[in-house]
Amino acid sequence: MIPSDHFVRFYNEVFKALDARGRRCLTDYWREIGRLQKRELAARFRRGGVAAAREYWQRIIREENCRARIVKRPGGFEFRMRRCPSLSKALDNDATPFGLYCDHCMGWIEPVMKAAGLYAVMDMISRGEARCVFLVTENAAAAQEALKRARLPSTPYRPDSLPPRQPVRAQPASGRNRRQKRER
Amino acid sequence: MRYRDTGELHLDFHRTTNGTIAYLRRRHGLRFLDGVFRRTAQEVYRSIWEDLKGGDPRQLVKHWRDEIRLTVTQCPAVAYLRRRGIRVDPAFCRQTIAMNRAWSEGTPFEITTEVLGKGRCIQTLRRRAR
Repeated sequence: MIPSDHFVRFYNEVFKALDARGRRCLTDYWREIGRLQKRELAARFRRGGVAAAREYWQRIIREENCRARIVKRPGGFEFRMRRCPSLSKALDNDATPFGLYCDHCMGWIEPVMKAAGLYAVMDMISRGEARCVFLVTENAAAAQEALKRARLPSTPYRPDSLPPRQPVRAQPASGRNRRQKRER
Repeated sequence: MRYRDTGELHLDFHRTTNGTIAYLRRRHGLRFLDGVFRRTAQEVYRSIWEDLKGGDPRQLVKHWRDEIRLTVTQCPAVAYLRRRGIRVDPAFCRQTIAMNRAWSEGTPFEITTEVLGKGRCIQTLRRRAR
């Protein structure tokens, strides 16, 4: 059995194997995860709106041991991940981390949010740093604005938004506010 | 063990593992699925495999929580899925079977996985007959 706290390293292997078969195989898999997550979450989010989504991500912070906080925003909230346990584990790995690891997250969040009638915008900041910011909102204009502001927006299903295959390496952490963003 | 993850557990990852196994089996076939488990066993858990190749089963035994013969009476992953009313994919236990097989490749050990059903199995590590 793959222990649940080792799952993401298996996930990372699935991404690499599918991507080796073609980018479409990878994004089809993300859509499948999105479909499974929709079954789990979409009705709950549709009923409970941003409050239900916020409650879900509060639980994720606890269960996945994230260093993150949730900040209230008009019409929604912002999830500020300061240390993503998922990418951290994919990087702390004897196997090679997958270069587009971060993109899978929006790969499932986007279909769930669409089905729930909410908007989510994720700024990955860098695919080599275990931090990101994402906004969940019921306000389409706020989502558009956040997308424009994002340094590295995650739009996995938009044509040409995923760069060609490449390895990813952990970037050294420096000062939080003065961190250099070196996106390859 | 190379990985020392501590803290809370997000047990719902077992649901994603089950969904992933079902999807890969249907869409890409068992051979592809076993290939992913093989890479997980030999690359993610490289140190376990390297030690086994060198004749040292201690890391794997530790991974199995100190038993050379591991009798699973209630698999936590299967129990979680059943509790949630999620259909356990017929290939779900392949994650254990294929990874045990991959870990034993090129090593002096063989690892057998006897699936008894309903989340029960017996996994046995033994030195191959010379």
